Amino acid sequence: MVVNVAQRPKGRRWLTVSSDADRLAEVRAFVRTAVADFGGSKRASDDLVQAVDEATCNVMLHGYAGKPGEIEIEAALRDRNIEIRILDRAPSFDPTVGPDAGTTSPPRPTRPGGMGMGIHLLRTMVDAVHHSARSDGGNELTLVRSIEDQAQED
Amino acid sequence: MGMTIGVDHVEGDPPVAVVTLDGELDASNYEGVIDAVRQAYAGGARGLVLDMAGVSFMASSGLFALHSAVRIMRGDTPPDPEAGWGALHEMSVDHEGEGGKVRIAAAQDAIARVLDRTGMTKLFGMSDSRDDAVAAIQGG
Repeated sequence: MVVNVAQRPKGRRWLTVSSDADRLAEVRAFVRTAVADFGGSKRASDDLVQAVDEATCNVMLHGYAGKPGEIEIEAALRDRNIEIRILDRAPSFDPTVGPDAGTTSPPRPTRPGGMGMGIHLLRTMVDAVHHSARSDGGNELTLVRSIEDQAQED
Repeated sequence: MGMTIGVDHVEGDPPVAVVTLDGELDASNYEGVIDAVRQAYAGGARGLVLDMAGVSFMASSGLFALHSAVRIMRGDTPPDPEAGWGALHEMSVDHEGEGGKVRIAAAQDAIARVLDRTGMTKLFGMSDSRDDAVAAIQGG
């Protein structure tokens, strides 16, 4: 199995995986390595690993929904924030909309068949989540978290 | 990194199954946990300890597996993934304060944080070790 992991100039890194839940371990390893190389804290690493896993899994299970597809994950350091972009060619879906998440008021599924828990987790683990529909089809989801121990929202 | 699952049986009242998980619990392997709990219940276990000392990561699919474990140990059918948070929230209300016969032992900080952020701690007793968990179930 060939893993497309490379480092671009200016500390930018990326990984491309097929839409297969068996690839999630590679995704998590990629995030851990990137966060460590950027000087992020253990807590920042744990939070980003959780958020990226949930976002990527959501694309696999509900975006591509069993159909073949690729997911590109890009990590970069901007100032003191780690920015991770997740790009796919699945039908457009914005996980940033919907009921606000909270442990006392869990959100409803954000789409038919969605368990919703993953969306809740990814939103609580990072400082910011941005979604945009790609002009040529698919989604671009950006997760931003401080490299410091505590997320800014804590 | 995959997930290994071990099951030990502790005699007593009630008989307890100790399911030891080691690795990363995610969408690729959570069904194995549900199967292990289902088999333990079918084998007569009426208490369950999930020893998570070796679990370094748990995705939301792992939460679903834990939710299923509680349902199975009550003699109910596992929840429907299509039901999403609604069923989970309903269940957390049902079981709040019950203590129950399902305990999580030795969860690492990252795992405990996920349980806390999703309100799942309401569903389980939490113990520092598997022995403490077994004692809490059989002595409670």
